[in-house]
Amino acid sequence: MISIIVFPGSNCDRDLKVAIERVTNLKVEYIWHKTTHIKKTKIILIPGGFSFGDHLRAGVLASHSPAINEVTRHAQKGVPVIGICNGFQVLTECGLLPGVLLKNKKPKFLCKVVKLKVNNQTPFTKKYKTNQILEFPIAHSQGNYFLTDNELERIKENQQIAFKYCDKEGKTNKLSNPNGSILNIAGLTNFHKNVIGLMPHPERAIGLRNLNDGTLFFKSFEDLL
Amino acid sequence: MKYRVYISFRQGILDPEAEAIKKTVHSAGFKNISKLSKGKFFDIELKKNSKKEIERLSEKILSNPIIEEYEIEKLNKK
Repeated sequence: MISIIVFPGSNCDRDLKVAIERVTNLKVEYIWHKTTHIKKTKIILIPGGFSFGDHLRAGVLASHSPAINEVTRHAQKGVPVIGICNGFQVLTECGLLPGVLLKNKKPKFLCKVVKLKVNNQTPFTKKYKTNQILEFPIAHSQGNYFLTDNELERIKENQQIAFKYCDKEGKTNKLSNPNGSILNIAGLTNFHKNVIGLMPHPERAIGLRNLNDGTLFFKSFEDLL
Repeated sequence: MKYRVYISFRQGILDPEAEAIKKTVHSAGFKNISKLSKGKFFDIELKKNSKKEIERLSEKILSNPIIEEYEIEKLNKK
């Protein structure tokens, strides 16, 4: 079973279920944030949206939900955990991922398609080629990833950066950085590489319209079981 | 017992909202202002006095220690 945690204000929970069921044969269940015990689960997802209205800091109120204690317990046992957009913010706030997501450098809500470069050394990106350029939509106002210098060295050394914002030639620089994220980071894993957070939305790129690069992201779930 | 907890960004953390406010402040004629930062505060009342609890709350939820720092002020000195 694949579990999607739902908070008041989550709005990508259904999109995720549709994407997983379209791409894989896996069964998906919703878990309400007040759940104090998650039994058998193979993969946990934390969806995008505005959990608890993004009050205080995006993701912080959700990160103190009973269900997140369970997510942490499963993550520590090695269960894959994926946080997308607001889910990424929740995972940094609860400490499963390093760093924090600040307001975008230009303080505007960004809603557009961006290009990403893949590092396929993580279990979630193995279906892609190294340095493959993907197109995913983003929709956030707090996606500016920040990390202290010491930790940045650690995540670079351990190849935890899964996706970087880039241009059509794959260049990662200020011009191809939509929100000010350090090193153009769009997504990264924890040290053990069983937890990933990313700001872009693969569930909005599964071939329903003109974007299809998210399909392989969900296809990789079959290898995680 | 009442406490006020102030949360502000650590030095060197970019706050685009404060930057936008500063720009507007300048164009509104307040040319003398050279630096502007913003933060937030929380007023908290306790059933039983415990400064430790306020510290724990400030560190665990009210602030994110990677980017923010907090300051605690006692409101009624009795």
